Amino acid sequence: MHRRDPRDIIGGLLLVTVGLAFAAYAYANYRLGTVARMGPGMFPLGLGVILATLGAVLTVQALRRPGNWPTGEPLVAGLVLAGIIAFGMAIRPLGLIPAICLLIVLAAPAEGRIRPRTIAALCVCLSLLSWLIFSVGLGLPVRMFWWSL
Amino acid sequence: MGILDNLLLGLNVALAPQNLLYCFGGVFFGTLIGVLPGLGPLAAISMLFPLTFYLEPTTALIMLAGIWYGTSYGGSTTAILLNIPGTPVNAVTALDGYPMSRQGRAGVALFMTTIASFIGGCVGIILLTTLAPVMVSYALRFGSAEYFALILLGLVAASTISSGSTIKSLAMVVLGIMTGVIGMDMYTGALRFTFDQRALFDGIKIAALAMGLFGVAEIIASIRHVGTRRLDMKTVRFRAMKPTRDDMRRSVGPVIRASAIGSFFGALPGVGSAIGAFMSYGLERRLSKEPERFGQGAIEGIMAPETANNAADQTAFIPTLTLGIPGSATMALMLGAMMVHGITPGPRLMTDEPGLFWGLIMSFWIGNVMLLILNIPLIGLWVRVLLIPYHLLFPTVLVFVCIGAYSVNNNPFDIYVVAAFGLLGYLMRMLDFPAAPLLLGFVLGPMLEEHFRRAMVLSQGDPSVLVTRPISASILALTALLLFWNALSAFRAHRAAATGRG
Repeated sequence: MHRRDPRDIIGGLLLVTVGLAFAAYAYANYRLGTVARMGPGMFPLGLGVILATLGAVLTVQALRRPGNWPTGEPLVAGLVLAGIIAFGMAIRPLGLIPAICLLIVLAAPAEGRIRPRTIAALCVCLSLLSWLIFSVGLGLPVRMFWWSL
Repeated sequence: MGILDNLLLGLNVALAPQNLLYCFGGVFFGTLIGVLPGLGPLAAISMLFPLTFYLEPTTALIMLAGIWYGTSYGGSTTAILLNIPGTPVNAVTALDGYPMSRQGRAGVALFMTTIASFIGGCVGIILLTTLAPVMVSYALRFGSAEYFALILLGLVAASTISSGSTIKSLAMVVLGIMTGVIGMDMYTGALRFTFDQRALFDGIKIAALAMGLFGVAEIIASIRHVGTRRLDMKTVRFRAMKPTRDDMRRSVGPVIRASAIGSFFGALPGVGSAIGAFMSYGLERRLSKEPERFGQGAIEGIMAPETANNAADQTAFIPTLTLGIPGSATMALMLGAMMVHGITPGPRLMTDEPGLFWGLIMSFWIGNVMLLILNIPLIGLWVRVLLIPYHLLFPTVLVFVCIGAYSVNNNPFDIYVVAAFGLLGYLMRMLDFPAAPLLLGFVLGPMLEEHFRRAMVLSQGDPSVLVTRPISASILALTALLLFWNALSAFRAHRAAATGRG
């Protein structure tokens, strides 16, 4: 425990940053208009200011109460997200099945104790299942491999 | 058309073979995903959401609704057998359900909660059928000022009544509205926050946002935290399900009271089933002659919350269908699904699309009966599903999430949106920000802006129109009261903590 609440201080300051950036971008790029005829910038400007205000209140409250540092598992998050992004990058040029295998190879080890054999089995089963459900069953217009149509 | 004609029309629609099939599919997958720990109803609906794009709107909604109330049935199974609540609603059920299961009475608990869910669901549907037309007749008189006030009330209520910090919930609502701003401005056609990305011109896809925020973030948080599970299969066999006469006698009162409580809270904007479940549990404990039995496996303690949450699941459709204002994040997702199919929920839905409106409501009966059949004889199947190891489960779910996101537009960009919101969702968990208000803000934000701007155009820029029209003024006063009451109780809690320490 810390005398101040670091988790909410971080959260509050992030809100202030995002709110101000959003409001500033709206103010600089979009017309505000008048209250009767609002331009595209008025509503976002208001939202940004409100978010920054809420963030400031949260930060001030957090300065006056004890709390803990946030905890997380960056490795797990990184592997899962990398798998999803790899899937997105692979699906157009390489096809669905390579994309599925890439996703599994990257994300499955996030659990830690998975064997290579299990990963291979997952790749085969899920590729087959996806082909059956999405291509045969639902008729989704998606290529299985880069050479097929 | 009289109410009977409407019900017959609805029954006709709901009994069409295709709708029956997808209703079954919905409740089946809903139960399946509800049973799987670490995946709540929001993740379930958002994952199966893209599949429904290929269906007729009525069929799609019947299936999505089935998924939703199916997860409530399934979630209680996990709560009772493993003490892992999938949702806050089931957390209440776990309080007495898990002790019952430890005493070897898991079968009884599962049987009784299924019955409780069924009765609660039925009461909710009856209220929905009778109250929706009444609500519509009021709603037809609402103008933009009233709608603005109602949406604001819904958003504020969702942040103040839910557990956790109000400031944080409100901030997430605002962040959600900001996310909803992305895309083309409907008044001026200006492109806002699109950064020249063509895929962002018509905004962020609700399916991608929900899958990232709930599906991916939940998966990241559950990896390495869901252990291997052991279970005594004998206690959940069909023969072990027979409740005693004493169980039945004790259950009657809680079911009746919880039906009323659940229905009431379900229909309120922003409150949702969890509050109904908590309230009815609290009430039963207070009314009980032996309150010390609660938490030790009291049958009343599982009947009350399960009845209440299923009643609330059904009455939550009242504001969504009649006003077009969802009360909870799940309802917001249902609303998003309707809009994807080109249907605008609101007071005109009932007269313009009677087949859809009544067909959906009548399908709830069919779905609830199906769940009764699915859950009691097939409980062994669900228990086996429960035992699937997580290291096989989560890659499977990820594959389906990615294909689902891609299939919405056949555009890889939507997959990156899923990843981005998965990251955001995980960071929000780390910093203890709730995700549901963000989704609610995202869906309601564009409506809030539209009605606000229209009200200002109509009043020629005079903001006092919001407080001079009586309905709008009273709704706004209620909103202010909620905020004030919340600030006051937070201040009191702070003072109490300060004096307690000093």
